[in-house]
Amino acid sequence: MLVKNSIKSQAALEFLTTYAWAFVIIGITIAALYSFGIFDFSKYLPQKCIFPSQFKCLDFSLKPTEVKVKLSNNLGEDITITSLQITNDAVTPISCTAPASFDWMHATEKDIIFTGCSGGGYIPDVRVELKISMSYFAINTPSRPIHLVNGKINGKVLSS
Amino acid sequence: MVKSYLAKDRCLRLAGSHLSQSSMEYLLVVALTLAIIVPTTYLFYSYSKESSQEITDAQISKLGRSIVDTAESIFYSGQGSKTVIDLNIPDGVDSALIIDGRELVLNITTNFGTSEIVFFSSVNMTTTSSNCIANICRLPEIGAPGIQKVKIEAISNSVKIEVI
Repeated sequence: MLVKNSIKSQAALEFLTTYAWAFVIIGITIAALYSFGIFDFSKYLPQKCIFPSQFKCLDFSLKPTEVKVKLSNNLGEDITITSLQITNDAVTPISCTAPASFDWMHATEKDIIFTGCSGGGYIPDVRVELKISMSYFAINTPSRPIHLVNGKINGKVLSS
Repeated sequence: MVKSYLAKDRCLRLAGSHLSQSSMEYLLVVALTLAIIVPTTYLFYSYSKESSQEITDAQISKLGRSIVDTAESIFYSGQGSKTVIDLNIPDGVDSALIIDGRELVLNITTNFGTSEIVFFSSVNMTTTSSNCIANICRLPEIGAPGIQKVKIEAISNSVKIEVI
């Protein structure tokens, strides 16, 4: 009886020991993969710039301290850009120097460049999602009401 | 007695080993399946979210251009001309305004904020006088998603747009 119990408990202990080690190894492996960013699936998404079709986004670049976006004025009207803002969802959002107001003829393209970008997790080789707000008015509309357009850039900051 | 017990124990161990092998195989299959399904679901969800944004944008552009193009066409057909168009208002359109008779403004909500999509008309647009204050006319029914019938009618020196 004693021998039988001893063999059973040994088997149970061996079973537990084997699986405890297995769990520890699996845990460490998952932690290592996580720390290397394997589970950050968003990096497998394409880099994109989304604006309404009236301001079609043609291209963009995210340099270490500069955000550049090329937009096309498809409104069919000449406009004046009154203000531009860039932000993101970080606790301390990204801060950049926005370009001054400018006139924008219809059917033309403009490079909008935000300089001196910092904060908001805007770090080289890191994927970021930036929101750009643009206010404008149409030059030929008598009361010149201000309109707001929002766009989004999802991309990786270049290393240099 | 001891011999027969040891033989029985060997049998039990062998059976236990087979059981643990099948459990391990089961766990591996489940883990592999999850490892494929979870990232794939995430990627497809993200793609579809961006695609739906582009589809809504295309629908809104078509909607606005349709109103403005019809208004211009009716205006140049002469006073008294009218037509009724069916518009499919997509989700995300909050309201519609006519400013200064030449800007049709659609306020839309996207997953990255509220935007105004503006369509410019070469003819003067207006709506029922009760919805107009100063130079701003509201088209409140355009803010409701679904099919809407819009009557566009050429009046003295402008085009009247109203949802019927």
